[in-house]
Amino acid sequence: MLDNHYEVNTSPDLLTFEFISTGPKGHITKIVRYTELNVKGFYNLGFGDKDPITGYISDRAITTNNNSKKVLATVASTLYAFTANYAEATIIATGCAETRTRLYRIGISNYLMDIQKDFVVFGLQKPFGSHLEKTPFIMLLW
Amino acid sequence: MNSKKTETEKKSFLSILKLIPALKGKYTDKPLFKDKADKANYILKTVGIPNLDAADKKVVTHKKRTPATAN
Repeated sequence: MLDNHYEVNTSPDLLTFEFISTGPKGHITKIVRYTELNVKGFYNLGFGDKDPITGYISDRAITTNNNSKKVLATVASTLYAFTANYAEATIIATGCAETRTRLYRIGISNYLMDIQKDFVVFGLQKPFGSHLEKTPFIMLLW
Repeated sequence: MNSKKTETEKKSFLSILKLIPALKGKYTDKPLFKDKADKANYILKTVGIPNLDAADKKVVTHKKRTPATAN
């Protein structure tokens, strides 16, 4: 899963990661940030694109560079790096929209066996009485 | 439950990264992914924390607690 990923720059505290995705749309700077939540030891995994003109960072940008697998592998590599330093952390990850969450869920499902060798994976379903589609998918890793 | 990676394997992940001290303060003026963090806090507040001790390296579906079943 982690064999093909972009080179990553990281802050010394291993909370912020930056890498450049390359493809038909050119070079896109991507940011990954782990933010501690109100519950100590729980972190949110945020991931988005940096606008080359405004510098604005958005997790809603859609930049189809034909490399989603490599990008997700790179994000996964930051997760391993982060948890190497924050071994007791639990991470929550969701997409900004259901379609994006579904993409992440597919990526995780494809490598679930490998991921489960190192992490405990949780998901969240809607309660009974409503449609049991998984929304917004929440994964807590440990 | 800690990661199953050995110390050597953990260090190997760190060794492939490039440490950039400037990155620590590079985005401090930008509250990155605040709405995501707010959403995650809301989820923790309403759904609660899963029973991590009961997890046994398998996918566990944490169903949203109703008031009748909440601890």
